[in-house]
Amino acid sequence: MFLRTEGITKDFGKLRAVNKVTLDIHNGDIHAIIGPNGAGKSTFFNLITGYHKATSGRVLFKGKEITHLPAYERCKLGITRSFQITSIYPKLTVYESVLMALLSHRKVTLNFFTPAKKFFKEEVWHILEDVGLTEQAYLTGDSISHGDKKRLELAITLGTEPELLLLDEPTCGMSAEETENTMTLIKKLSTERGLTILFTEHDMNVVFGIAKRISVLHQGTLIADGPPEEVRKSEEVQKVYLGGTA
Amino acid sequence: MWETPNRIGMKKGWWLGLLILLFLFASIGVSEFYLTVLCEALVMSLLALSFNLLFGYMGQLSFGQAAFYGLAGYTVAMLITKIHFNFWLSLMAGVLMASLIGLIIGYFCVRLRGIYFAVLTLAFGQLLFVIIYKWHDFTGGDDGIQGVFPPDFLKSPTHYYYFILFVFIASTYLLWRIVNSPFGQTLKSMRENSERTEFLGINIARYQLIAFVIAAGFAGLAGAIWVPFYRSVAPFYLMWIKSGEPVMAAILGGPNIFLGPVLGMFIMTFVHAWVLGFTYFWPVIMGSLILTIIFLLPGGILGFAQEKMKQRRESKLKGNPLRCS
Repeated sequence: MFLRTEGITKDFGKLRAVNKVTLDIHNGDIHAIIGPNGAGKSTFFNLITGYHKATSGRVLFKGKEITHLPAYERCKLGITRSFQITSIYPKLTVYESVLMALLSHRKVTLNFFTPAKKFFKEEVWHILEDVGLTEQAYLTGDSISHGDKKRLELAITLGTEPELLLLDEPTCGMSAEETENTMTLIKKLSTERGLTILFTEHDMNVVFGIAKRISVLHQGTLIADGPPEEVRKSEEVQKVYLGGTA
Repeated sequence: MWETPNRIGMKKGWWLGLLILLFLFASIGVSEFYLTVLCEALVMSLLALSFNLLFGYMGQLSFGQAAFYGLAGYTVAMLITKIHFNFWLSLMAGVLMASLIGLIIGYFCVRLRGIYFAVLTLAFGQLLFVIIYKWHDFTGGDDGIQGVFPPDFLKSPTHYYYFILFVFIASTYLLWRIVNSPFGQTLKSMRENSERTEFLGINIARYQLIAFVIAAGFAGLAGAIWVPFYRSVAPFYLMWIKSGEPVMAAILGGPNIFLGPVLGMFIMTFVHAWVLGFTYFWPVIMGSLILTIIFLLPGGILGFAQEKMKQRRESKLKGNPLRCS
């Protein structure tokens, strides 16, 4: 068991955003969470990463309960995320941004004397090559294209050398070509780095193109979970989500 | 492998060497009055640099930085005048006191961000000011403490000037290393995007607290070395008006450039000394200066200069050297 949620629930006042979701995410999988707007996908993500506190239920990571750990502690254990609205460092260079992630993950942020740029040169360039941002290394985060920003965020998350990577709509707002590139990249990361990837996505081509397992949320409740073919066939999913046309 | 590019400053070290040389020979060329002004400018610049660790690098406005400056000053003054404590140990005690109180105040302040952080630092600063101002029996109240003498060999202003210069250069070097270290990089990242940084595994409050204590310590060092030079200390050293000086210096010189606050403080201190020669309306001059900078040179003097240089470099790269904006 890699990551498991047990009856995880989140209420915002009277609104139940996530309703008793019990779900297993297997090591090395590319796992998609889908569902219509307001299905609770982002909230579910937030419960796993510690952005929100669960109302009830448990989250277990590699057998250890993490339900009450703050976000930065979960990150130290190897859970990292990207945000639906790209979250990068506008005034730091691409290079510095990725470096920051490595400095934090390798626990040297309490070094007060050695110049930061002397650390982890190879690792930073390796990540930048992986995501294809070497050309932009010395540009600031706010000066690169939208697609590059998304890739930069991915590069930053890779800097924390995660085991579980959560991507909230990784291809949101991308052109067809950029989307294609991102999908290839996600697959590559999963195989080469042995990452487990959990992602939400609106684009069904992306979801059925790369996910090995799909879970469907509807009004906060898990209504289907399984390999893509199985989920595609599920009547309930077709009814509430795919509109019966898929 | 590529090298990360050099930021303005270090590679072109010649101007820095020239500047230090200039300071080393300053005592020969200037009158005693202006030597005193120079000492004040150096000490206040150290206060401004400590403030800017929080403002320019961490992105939080501290409006109580002078409290640590004054607190260390009082510690030194009391130890020297009341129990004739060793001068050097008194300076150290001053820095320790400032850091310790910084730790306590910081503990509460780092939970807040933005305007709330600023107001809380202001409130704590004023609290310390009022305690010292009202506690006449212990602190001398509004009379302050006089007769704080340094050891004999530091009694001449020229000697003390070199002592201040040494402390200033050493502290500036340390702070330079800190802002460029992994810790400094963490502060910048917190300023740029604290949420992202938290999701990289950084406990924001903890790093803010460490920075707060470091800043308090350096502010304390500035106060500790100033008081024996001036031979006295007074409650207004802790007051919010004094805390405003590093804020204005940073805005004037440029908070995003390491030495920006130093330039700002030098301009403020020297213009102040010069203007007082013919008018009492110093605040009017200062106000106009700040307004001019904010409207004409956003980013401060050095910030503006760096932006211009960057533009020129970029237009040169594009083979269009005449393009100006």
